[in-house]
Amino acid sequence: MAGDSMAPEDEVPPQAYEDRIIDLDFHLTPPEDEILKYVDDDRLYQKLTTEFGIAPVKGKWDAAYAIKDGNEGLYTQGRAETAEDVREAAEMFAIDEPIVNPGINNMPSQHHPLLKTAVAKACNDYLLDQVVPEDFYCLMMLPQWDPEDAVEEIERVGDEDGIVGVYGWFGPFTMFGDEKYDLVFEALTDNNLPLILHGSLSFWPQQTPVGDNMITWTEVLGFDWPIHAMLTTVNMIMTGVFDKFPDLDVVMQEGGHWWLPFVRYRMNEFYEMHPEDVQITPRKFEMEERYLNRRPSEYLRDNIYVCTQPMALPDRTNETESLLDLSMAEDTFLYSSDWPHQTLDPATWAYTNRAFDENLKNSILHENAEELLGI
Amino acid sequence: MSTDNFTKVADENELKPGEGKGIEINGIEIALFNVDSDYYAVSNRCSHQQAPLCKVGEKKINGEKCWTEQRGSVDDENIAITCPWHLWEWGLQSGEHEVTGQRIGSFDVKVEDGDILVNL
Repeated sequence: MAGDSMAPEDEVPPQAYEDRIIDLDFHLTPPEDEILKYVDDDRLYQKLTTEFGIAPVKGKWDAAYAIKDGNEGLYTQGRAETAEDVREAAEMFAIDEPIVNPGINNMPSQHHPLLKTAVAKACNDYLLDQVVPEDFYCLMMLPQWDPEDAVEEIERVGDEDGIVGVYGWFGPFTMFGDEKYDLVFEALTDNNLPLILHGSLSFWPQQTPVGDNMITWTEVLGFDWPIHAMLTTVNMIMTGVFDKFPDLDVVMQEGGHWWLPFVRYRMNEFYEMHPEDVQITPRKFEMEERYLNRRPSEYLRDNIYVCTQPMALPDRTNETESLLDLSMAEDTFLYSSDWPHQTLDPATWAYTNRAFDENLKNSILHENAEELLGI
Repeated sequence: MSTDNFTKVADENELKPGEGKGIEINGIEIALFNVDSDYYAVSNRCSHQQAPLCKVGEKKINGEKCWTEQRGSVDDENIAITCPWHLWEWGLQSGEHEVTGQRIGSFDVKVEDGDILVNL
């Protein structure tokens, strides 16, 4: 083990406590009754307090079938319900700044827009009231299913101290390249807030032959999520989102990261072979522009970030170095622990793997996040 | 077994069944486990991502609200543990992770006069 030796009880190397570590995917799970206290409309409150709960799950699936001991994959480490719980968990893994998100990752697939917008707003008020005052940075939940509601919510809480980003989801629904989201992007850039998209899949049925044919967790979390993260990224680039909003930053959480080299070169190749349909995407058509303003891969470096959990390193250091270089990791990677999920990824590799030199380590563990979030 | 290389690592009854303890001896990290009142010792670091195996059995934050209360587990029947991070299963006698074939060190343990000793 590099550097100072570890004590048997240490979760991460002692050197990790000497560095600033910002964690871009830390899940808070407030109890439902706590969130409900912040729903201010009596009619919506009444509907949210049926036995369905605030976010009924149509088909529960996580890593539980694929891991030992009847463990629920979402909570292999526990549940953080309060700021104090966040502090305890973060301290164990040398995380200085857990960027807290309120989770509830099946929100997009809930049925009633008014109810789920009410939940999103209540979560944001809970964070501002209970978590931000405890000196934690938080992501506000975005009611992305209704762009006007989304803008209204950004305007309502996006400027609050402690809110450093906007939490939404990629998944099997309308892609973010759709021009209906332009008013959201405008609000994000006006408020200097990054859009941070977490996966929202694995709730059954997906009602697609491919989605419902996957039956192992490796297929689902290992690949269904990254495929949707890739598609969302490419869709936003190819429809000109970053030409219209060059200052917009987008983060893909839990959508993998080693696909960056694949997308980087393939997107350039395909675009340069057949670029003539960019001009008939609604956004670029309205902008009266024929092509993208930049080579597609440049948007990956300038506008896209990826969270790193789990790091999934090759066995050989030279292969890791190549992948990191091709992934533009120094510019694109953001450390994330994914606490408390089964894909928990403490930053041990940053201190034990020779592929991470001091510059790269600092970029991934905190510098990229500092620049992205303004903290 | 020769007693020459045996080192005391705990008192008998210091660990309850299902608990683990981490010890360092001459720079070597060991995780000791009480498995249904028998004792086993393996290397303390999971070869996957260097998780501290001695943390097996530690209560989760708000564990009483989770399907299982502890991080990882001790399996009495199979004499194995599952790692507190990602639940890799390690045989305590063989030190083997069956899925990958990887092995961590496993050490002879004996109890003598109320002391638990590990052979390095």
